[in-house]
Amino acid sequence: MIPIDLARHAGQHLLEPEALALVKEAGLTVIEHRTATSAEEAMAVADQLGYPVALKLVCREIVHKSDADGVQLDLRDAAAVGVAYRRVMEGAARHRPGTRIDGVLVCRMARPGVEVILGLTRDPQFGPALMFGLGGIFVELYRDIAFRLVPISEHDAMEMIREIKGFPVLMGARGRPARDLDALVRSLLILSALAESRQQIDALDLNPVILYEQGCVVVDAKVFLTSGEDRA
Amino acid sequence: MIADSSDLSTIFTPKSVAVIGASSSPEKLGFQILKNVRDAGFKGPIYPVNPKATTILDLRCYPSIGAVEGSPDLAVIIVPAHAVPATLAECGMKGVRGAIVISGGFAESGPEGEALQRQALDVARTHKMRMIGPNCQGVNNPYHGLCASWPLLTMQGAIAVVSQSGTVAAALMDWAAQEGIGVSGLVSMGNRADVDEADLVEHFDGDPQTRAIALYIEGVKNGPRFLAAARRARKPIVVLKPGRTEKGRQAAESHTKSLAGRDEVYQGAFRQFGICRAETLHELYDFSKALAYLQRPPGRRVLIVTSSGGCGVLAADVAAGEGLDVAPLPEAIASQLRASLPRHFVVNNPLDLTGDATAQMYKEVIAAAKGMFDTVAVIFGDPIVGASEVIDRNRPELVIFLGGAEVEREEGRLLHSRGVPVFPTPERGMRALAQLVRFGRPVERVR
Repeated sequence: MIPIDLARHAGQHLLEPEALALVKEAGLTVIEHRTATSAEEAMAVADQLGYPVALKLVCREIVHKSDADGVQLDLRDAAAVGVAYRRVMEGAARHRPGTRIDGVLVCRMARPGVEVILGLTRDPQFGPALMFGLGGIFVELYRDIAFRLVPISEHDAMEMIREIKGFPVLMGARGRPARDLDALVRSLLILSALAESRQQIDALDLNPVILYEQGCVVVDAKVFLTSGEDRA
Repeated sequence: MIADSSDLSTIFTPKSVAVIGASSSPEKLGFQILKNVRDAGFKGPIYPVNPKATTILDLRCYPSIGAVEGSPDLAVIIVPAHAVPATLAECGMKGVRGAIVISGGFAESGPEGEALQRQALDVARTHKMRMIGPNCQGVNNPYHGLCASWPLLTMQGAIAVVSQSGTVAAALMDWAAQEGIGVSGLVSMGNRADVDEADLVEHFDGDPQTRAIALYIEGVKNGPRFLAAARRARKPIVVLKPGRTEKGRQAAESHTKSLAGRDEVYQGAFRQFGICRAETLHELYDFSKALAYLQRPPGRRVLIVTSSGGCGVLAADVAAGEGLDVAPLPEAIASQLRASLPRHFVVNNPLDLTGDATAQMYKEVIAAAKGMFDTVAVIFGDPIVGASEVIDRNRPELVIFLGGAEVEREEGRLLHSRGVPVFPTPERGMRALAQLVRFGRPVERVR
């Protein structure tokens, strides 16, 4: 695979297929996906991937896809994919008339697990910092998140995982299975290395990453790039 | 930021001091600071500078720094902001190598002040001068009889106080003096045009009197430099940094005119670099005190010995919440103590000696539990005469004293004079202990 040319998109966000490719190239497991540019192609791709699938708008001018009906989840057959494709296109046109649409991303729906968030942000004082938190209300309501500065050690990764209040959820609270903390640690270390090697990344948001008893998979990726002039 | 922090010596241990902007009006800072420099026991020559006076406080006054014989090591500057760059230049030409600029009206006051501050820094750099401030409350080194600050405080101790707020610094030193434990040094950094927290962490880490560094900052001046200094430091660093809430962050940014950054990132960085974070001014004091005067216990097991049931419960509650292990008393010791102690005592953990506890009983219990716990938290909850004799500095003991009125104050004074810190409530004591377990200096070998 050719490394993604981040300089080309300085100051912008990457399209989701690009963002997924970037973190996959870094070593993370990402959800199976393919891009389609017509309803027919989307249906064919979905048939190949296997149901259920999700459709997501691919458009450089729309970052928050759900505001534009740009995310259609849990589609169980080709007919549903066809309907959803049209809904995504109409939503984008309504949200930003005349915008260029690069297609839709057809993704396999990930099987359920514990949703976590991994992120990377650039602090004005300390430079790149990694973020970890549990997904959903844990982050939104309780701000239950932990940060460490790049680069992190394995020990730092483990500490930031243990630090969040929701940690018992990962350990298998209330009779649920314990999750693969090693996979989480590895993922954080991969992101730390990515932040060091790709200094053009201004912010990165993997939300959610689904964590299983074994392994984890990135379901959604957003990457924002710096304008580029300020670093080598 | 010019070179390594060793050249801060002219600021902390000058041989002579000029006070530029010295005043004969007792209500002015120029008078107060000169008086404090004189009264704190400074051994070298003091040169007040003021063109309008011939003597102040019986000291010969000079019309300008240029008129002073020789070249003073340190200049304390209390002239209006617009005159500061020129004054610094005169100092530089005279050979002064350390400056403390008390005057306000710089970056904190708007764009004009910002320009003045840059000018002042340029002058200082040109003359290879290190500068504290501007807009600060000065420096106090009780081991050098140097109180270039206010109020007049002289008590020597082991905590270094470094603060962006003058009042926070003064309050900590005042509390430490009140308790008879003192500080190893105090710096009110003000606007940090030159010397910042990274320089001062480095300085106090190398200072033989300092055993813990207490730091109040609203934001770091240079993140990577500060963290590098913290990582190199062998002494515990306790930081109080407000800004957990959005309002707090905004207030900090407007106070210091610098980007405070996200509090959560600070939190992560502090954990990553082994920095102890305090949430309140009291905690900053308590944690620094514990880390300066006690050694790290080998583990988390704590036995609580108390004369107050209530305080035992409060202590146990906080201890457990802080991750300390209030482990049960081993049965062998429990039965031995039950046989020897009055029957109404609650032999457990907490071990409640009740209101008729005597110093002798404390001694007995502590001796019996010797070696079974990592720390004995000793709560004196009554006027227990001889309490200070119960405590042995060489054993891992944490002392909490309350509800003892005059006896408490007398015993507390005795304990502090022996270098044993005393905490005023069970909660504050146990929180300090938890920090000691995490951040304390390892036990030193007995020489």
